[in-house]
Amino acid sequence: MIYEQIFHMVNVGIVILDLKLKVVKWNRWMEIHSDVSCDTLVGKSIFDFYPNLDIKWFNRSCKSVFAFGNTFFITYKLYKTIFPFKPISSFVTLFDNMCQDCIIGPLRKEDKSIEYLYIMVSDVTKIASYERKLLDMGAKDGLTNIYNRKYFETKLEEEIERCNRYKKRFSLIILDIDFFKKVNDKYGHLAGDYILKAFTKIIAKIIRTSDIFARYGGEEFCCILPETVGETALIISERIRGGIEETVFEYKKDIKIKITVSQGVAVFDNNNITKTELINLADKALYKAKKQGRNQVVIA
Amino acid sequence: MDADKNEIFTEDQKDILQEIMNIAFGNATADLSEIIDIYVILSVPDIKTISAENLDSYINNLIDLKKNTKIIEQKFFGEYNGSGLLVFPDINDDEISTILDHSDDINSNDSSEQVPVNEILIEIGNILIGACIGKITSLLNTYVTYSPPDIFPSDTSNKVCLSYHTDKDKTGLVMKTTFTFNEKNIEGFLLLLTNDESFDWLKKALGKFMESYL
Amino acid sequence: MIKSILVVDDSPIARKMLIKSLSEHGSYEITEARDGQEGVEKFSTVSPDVTFLDLTMPVLDGYDALIKIKEIDAKAIVIVVTADIQAKSIETVMGSGAFSVIKKPASPEAISGILTKSESKIKKSQG
Repeated sequence: MIYEQIFHMVNVGIVILDLKLKVVKWNRWMEIHSDVSCDTLVGKSIFDFYPNLDIKWFNRSCKSVFAFGNTFFITYKLYKTIFPFKPISSFVTLFDNMCQDCIIGPLRKEDKSIEYLYIMVSDVTKIASYERKLLDMGAKDGLTNIYNRKYFETKLEEEIERCNRYKKRFSLIILDIDFFKKVNDKYGHLAGDYILKAFTKIIAKIIRTSDIFARYGGEEFCCILPETVGETALIISERIRGGIEETVFEYKKDIKIKITVSQGVAVFDNNNITKTELINLADKALYKAKKQGRNQVVIA
Repeated sequence: MDADKNEIFTEDQKDILQEIMNIAFGNATADLSEIIDIYVILSVPDIKTISAENLDSYINNLIDLKKNTKIIEQKFFGEYNGSGLLVFPDINDDEISTILDHSDDINSNDSSEQVPVNEILIEIGNILIGACIGKITSLLNTYVTYSPPDIFPSDTSNKVCLSYHTDKDKTGLVMKTTFTFNEKNIEGFLLLLTNDESFDWLKKALGKFMESYL
Repeated sequence: MIKSILVVDDSPIARKMLIKSLSEHGSYEITEARDGQEGVEKFSTVSPDVTFLDLTMPVLDGYDALIKIKEIDAKAIVIVVTADIQAKSIETVMGSGAFSVIKKPASPEAISGILTKSESKIKKSQG
């Protein structure tokens, strides 16, 4: 009697399935968050109600529990939606679905043979939000909210490693806002900050989701273009150049600022060069672009 | 099988233990492929008794820690008590993600995020350690419960230290098997460590196992 | 009738276990071998009616020992005893001419079943 009450009162979802994955028990926590009562489910296959679970990892785990009696500890990071429930808190906005950790393990008869399996589901949405925020804090630039230099360097190393392994190529652009110091001197540092933020927003719209755009420091930015070389890389950097050139930045409504950007592009051609050498190549091209009169793209 | 201290198990007990391990690992290999579609070859396990003070150096002699070394540990509790260590001496993230079939998993539509390598390793640990322990325990007529697997933080240290083997007088039973994933060229080894708290039970269980067949 | 049986396994315990089950079923002249090489040698000297063969063994493993035994006597009845009963391994040994495969640890029922099956096979080939 007491155990039955605890079964329904614990702040975790508990589901018990038989060998054919039919529902045997479905506790109150599951009823509340699924909006499906235990009576409706009992005796029916879990897949009738949650077809999203009829996939490899879930089947693999269940078969393994019945064959070996082992216990699976699955975190929300590996498989996002286990039971698609709404987040409990009304304030959470980061996730559309509740983030769940789950444990799948065996339940045995007196003779130690396995009769059922249990699934225990915990809500870890809050932890997931904190983790997301922490990760962002470590990887992103505080002012512009694009990636920071540390993250960029890690990504660049990974990209070089991957391209070496699979004999792929990519491009690296280094961008520098022309005469940025003048903006700061003329309109003040707050205006300068505004320009940096607005500048990154424009570029973020031009590049693709697979590209990695980061603030390298000051008014210097970097962009990794995976599997993109030659003409395509040039088209992207030209679009960036044009996009910035034609924009009139309006600071506090009455101050209109125009800027341009110079860019140096270097290609990684799995030619055994290091991260530093590649950055140097792009830097030299950028220097050339500046020297030739700014507001232009130079390929190393 | 050789002991570095006075003999804890009799010759007969060692033979039974070796045979049980052969059977358990063989059955585990078969069930992994037949039931779960995981094609892994487990070698005949090598069984040793090692004193706790020599255990760390034994393990560090086996494992040449590299940047790409991955170690997963899962503890188990019951009459049979100990831990399993799954060691991939040199494996990169892409190789890790090919071990299990993740082709229809819901998380993959979020391509901007990296493959959660540690989570995949934990699942592999759950399966491989659980399969071997599950077969051993069912032959010895018992069962165990498991702790969540842990990933050894390979970049923080250049040595493996097992914190729970602090009592130097104690002896551990180490079973080592090498595994290879078919057609994937991925290999590593699995160590099952048993504390001497389980030895009395283990001796009895070995006796019972023999009784049922002899 | 089965008179002589050869048991090839590197584990003394595994041999003991198997011999125990065999003796419960009937009385046979049993010969033991500790690895594949010794198994092949004893097979040619003893010419047993039935051979029980383990797969994972030192010196010469069960897969190769099976092939050599079948080279000596194509009609030899060889029963493979293994813990790893994957479809692939079964296919390989059946392809090499094994009579049957049984799973380790072999239950007395499995042993008695396979002995009955072997006997009828011997009767057929004699008759």
